[in-house]
Amino acid sequence: MRTMSSDRSKRILPVADRRQVRAYARRLALKYPRQLSLALGLHGLAAATGLVAPRMLGELVEHVRDGTGVSVDTVALTIAAFIVAQAVLIRAAVYASAKLGERVLAELREDFVDRVLALPLSTVERAGSGDLVTRTSRDVDALSRTVRHAVPETLIALVAGAFVLGALALTGPLLLLPSLIAVPLLWVATRWYLKRARDGYLRENAAYAEMTEGLAETVEGARTVEAFGLQRRRHARTDGDIARSWVAERYTLGLRTVWFPAVEMGYVIPVTATILIGGLFYVNGWVGLAQVATATLYAQQLVDPLDRLLSWVDELQVGAASLARLLGVANVPDDRSAGTRRPEGEEMVADGVRYAYREGHDVLRGVSLRVAPGERLAMVGPSGAGKSTLGRLLAGIHGPRTGTVTVGGVPLVELPLDELRGHVALVTQEHHVFRGTLRDNVLIGRPDAGDSEVKEALAAVDAWEWVEALPAGLDTVVGSGGLAVSPAQAQQVALARLVLADPHTLVLDEATSLIDPRAARHLERSLAAVLDGRTVIAIAHRLYTAHDADRVAVVENGRISELGAHDELVAAGGAYAALWESWHGAPRR
Amino acid sequence: MRPLPHADPGVPDARSPIRYLWWTARGQAVPLLIGIGYAVLWWLAQAFVPFALGRAVDGLMAGDTAALVRWSAIMLGLGVTTAFGGVMRHRMAVYNWLSAAYRTVQVTARQATRLGATLPKLLSTGEVISVGNSDIAHIGNSLDILLRGTGSLVAIVAVTVILLTTSPQLGVIVLIGVPLMALAVVPLLRPLHRRQHAQRDLQGELATRASDIVAGLRVLRGIGGEQVFADRYREESQRVRAAGVRVAAVDATLEGAQLLLPGLLIAFVTWRGAHLALDHMISPGELVSFYAYALFLVGPLRTLTEMADKLTKGHVAARRVVRILSLDPEVSGTGTAAGAPGGDLADAASGVTVRRGTFTALAGAVPEDAIAVADRLGLYVPAGDVTFGGVPLADLPLEEARRRVLVADNGARLFSGRLRDQLDVTGAASDDDLRRALSAACAEDIVEALPEGLDSHIAEAGREFSGGQQQRLRLARALVADPEVLILVEPTSAVDAHTEARVAERLGRARQGRTTLVCTTSPLMLDRADHVIFMDDGVARAEGDHRTLLATSPDYAATVTRSE
Repeated sequence: MRTMSSDRSKRILPVADRRQVRAYARRLALKYPRQLSLALGLHGLAAATGLVAPRMLGELVEHVRDGTGVSVDTVALTIAAFIVAQAVLIRAAVYASAKLGERVLAELREDFVDRVLALPLSTVERAGSGDLVTRTSRDVDALSRTVRHAVPETLIALVAGAFVLGALALTGPLLLLPSLIAVPLLWVATRWYLKRARDGYLRENAAYAEMTEGLAETVEGARTVEAFGLQRRRHARTDGDIARSWVAERYTLGLRTVWFPAVEMGYVIPVTATILIGGLFYVNGWVGLAQVATATLYAQQLVDPLDRLLSWVDELQVGAASLARLLGVANVPDDRSAGTRRPEGEEMVADGVRYAYREGHDVLRGVSLRVAPGERLAMVGPSGAGKSTLGRLLAGIHGPRTGTVTVGGVPLVELPLDELRGHVALVTQEHHVFRGTLRDNVLIGRPDAGDSEVKEALAAVDAWEWVEALPAGLDTVVGSGGLAVSPAQAQQVALARLVLADPHTLVLDEATSLIDPRAARHLERSLAAVLDGRTVIAIAHRLYTAHDADRVAVVENGRISELGAHDELVAAGGAYAALWESWHGAPRR
Repeated sequence: MRPLPHADPGVPDARSPIRYLWWTARGQAVPLLIGIGYAVLWWLAQAFVPFALGRAVDGLMAGDTAALVRWSAIMLGLGVTTAFGGVMRHRMAVYNWLSAAYRTVQVTARQATRLGATLPKLLSTGEVISVGNSDIAHIGNSLDILLRGTGSLVAIVAVTVILLTTSPQLGVIVLIGVPLMALAVVPLLRPLHRRQHAQRDLQGELATRASDIVAGLRVLRGIGGEQVFADRYREESQRVRAAGVRVAAVDATLEGAQLLLPGLLIAFVTWRGAHLALDHMISPGELVSFYAYALFLVGPLRTLTEMADKLTKGHVAARRVVRILSLDPEVSGTGTAAGAPGGDLADAASGVTVRRGTFTALAGAVPEDAIAVADRLGLYVPAGDVTFGGVPLADLPLEEARRRVLVADNGARLFSGRLRDQLDVTGAASDDDLRRALSAACAEDIVEALPEGLDSHIAEAGREFSGGQQQRLRLARALVADPEVLILVEPTSAVDAHTEARVAERLGRARQGRTTLVCTTSPLMLDRADHVIFMDDGVARAEGDHRTLLATSPDYAATVTRSE
């Protein structure tokens, strides 16, 4: 229930399956074979050098026992020399693997953004941004952690662990046995833990996020809380969120309460067993003193790679899940297959159009409409009547379920995207100002335009005055982190983009709704002057937009119920006329 | 462990950050002390392992099987104690962390509701929200580290005693060497932190860039410009990569140093120890334990540095919390006129009077003027000269004034949760009341489209709804609350004319007999009001009904019909 909105978008944005993830990871890993083998080789060498000191110490103990005066000084110097060598190798190894990691990571996120930017239009319009935002922020973050830390640490641990075990075997195959005692314990406990951990931590994070989001809501809605006297209710929400977070935390704490001691014992047992069993072997004369001492130190040295391995293994799971979501974006099937026909003329025709978002629930039920080139058509009607849906179909974002929407005789959804954009563009009331300069924001419409064209476009939407007044003018940085522009100004910028892009047909879906009514009317008139000769389909909730248009279409209940020039409709005395009269203050019938 | 949260978080001591932390710690003194006890046990058990190891080695060399077995068993026992103490310490640490963090969330949320409308005036909401996002974690950390930190101090003292009594010479080498080599890596930490900061900043920017692309994806896919944005992202991504490599360079050096420095100390200890052992000053087993102690001491020393760091960060976080906790709301009722009979609501400054029981509309030539009047009438401004049935509104207890006079503006928020609960804020409305309010606000279609109707869960700020839908739901909520006086600010600015006409028609009926003021310039709405007040330059200029004003006041006509 709580994830309703994300569930809804999940149906639209798929997740890659295990096979795809594995194939992608393999391809990525093998893409830089030289760098990968260099990093692994250096780690191997470093691990090998690290095996010398315990061995020398073991022999030292033996010499001390025997009083043989092999130069203690030489042994100590050798140990020191190997430590220096190991430090140098470790430095090189860490650097090499980090460089490779950063490279792979950059490629991963750039790939992902490319995938996002190639999402089909209809998906973008429908999916909402919630799920995609989560993927962009949380999943990219999680994957960064995995690539930067979990993958290299796991690899290092595997390499180092293998070397220590090898060294143990070389020291005395018998002395390998005590270290193996702990393996079943670690194996069983860790499997048990991992099976439960992922869901547990996901729940924990979700509950924690819900708690902080609840606090954010209380803070952002503080005035509303006071106005409606919601204090007690918000306190209850906070305490309820906390209680849920606590339950989730207690669950994972319970998991760790089992796993931690088991792992800890898994570290202690090999060391203790090596000294005890090795000691007994020694007393029986099966192994030498140096061997026992060395083996004990090796057993101790095994703790570090084991610990690394265990502490990152669940992060690997998380990373794989994130990768699946990032890759999944590419699994969205394309929504249009471009044909070869090109439009002749600019006439826009909808014929018997039906459309449903959910099967069996037609939002449009048989709409036919012919918009002549250069005509200005206003669509009005109650909310939920299907105006916006019709607008999207006329802009070629969705294809109709039955019927056709054509421009110059060619169905819009059969045009390649670039071609489509040259014909028709949609501006909705949703306004987004990108992070960057105002110039960049307008240039999206036509990247090769010059400053004078940008200025003209802004002037056409009544925005040049305030842009000019800004200290840095067109160079002012806006968007998140930059200068905050009002929603009304953002709508002007969106319209200026469209003026610059200059398609022959524009669909404006309440594109001036956030602008002060009087300013909006002025804007629409100056816009109309610039767009003279262009086809404009405006969905409007203000009646003067309809009044100023060539024709008005009243959309009700998925159909066009009235269609004609403003004066005709007023004269006809239908629903539109009644609305107009009450709006305009003329006497009611 | 008692379940969390505490039913009553108590009154925080907000006089200073230290006092706040102290207040938090006192509130959980028992779990804190128990946790410290476990932490001490955990560290001590580890501190005795090298000692037992040395004895076991000595036993083994002497061929003394009994001693070998005994000391091995003791090592195992210490291991069991470490495992037990460790997990218990961890449990208490988590409990203390959560307890402190939760309590901070509780007091911050309560303070936010106490400040109410004052909050956005005094604080940026981001500032308060960052309490939830990061400060509670730092405060939790500062309590968590007290456990391990105290334990590590005890461990260091214990090891010192053991070392010095075994061999003063080696003991001194270890005790001077270990802190020295811990300090030796400090010069590397500064450049590391600097580069990490730079990397984090760039990464933050990159993340913002990505969210920006996602948020504006409709525009990019609709009009074009994908390539430009992809290129820009790639460029920034490569900068992040370069910054990451710069971090890795220092990080790699640090890794090397963290191996080299203790390694050299251990080599030195081994060398001196071997000589001492050859001279029979110490036993070979003791040589092994010195080796192990030099390794072990790194842990407690790191914990001490960690403690300094976390306490500092906790202090900074507590300062932010305290700043928020020490603020007071700017409006408060005197309470001398509790239960006043009510009546006309009058604002002396503008000359606007809302007559009891009428549906009044206020049209401002400048919309901000009308909003200012609404804020004064609703007692959101401290010095307003507003009377309610002749009694100063500010003389009512604030809670009562809020209950009786409700200002519903477009800044009001919908909260997440079951739609029914979000519309019926008191929980007192019947299904019928809800239906009536939804109908008056023309919001039935929104509810019908939801999979579970009124029982659907809605996201925070109603973000799954369009602007117009949110507005209608907010209106429905205000109508369900059914206050004595309802002040609506531009309640239909985002809905289409058809719907607006219907709302205007139904609103008067829904508020029949109650006092209602609507700030609007929409003729559809004004036409339905019993009484219209036209405002210019902050004062009421003309009154009457819509049609009369249209005929008699050219300024009014210009304002509402938007003719030029």
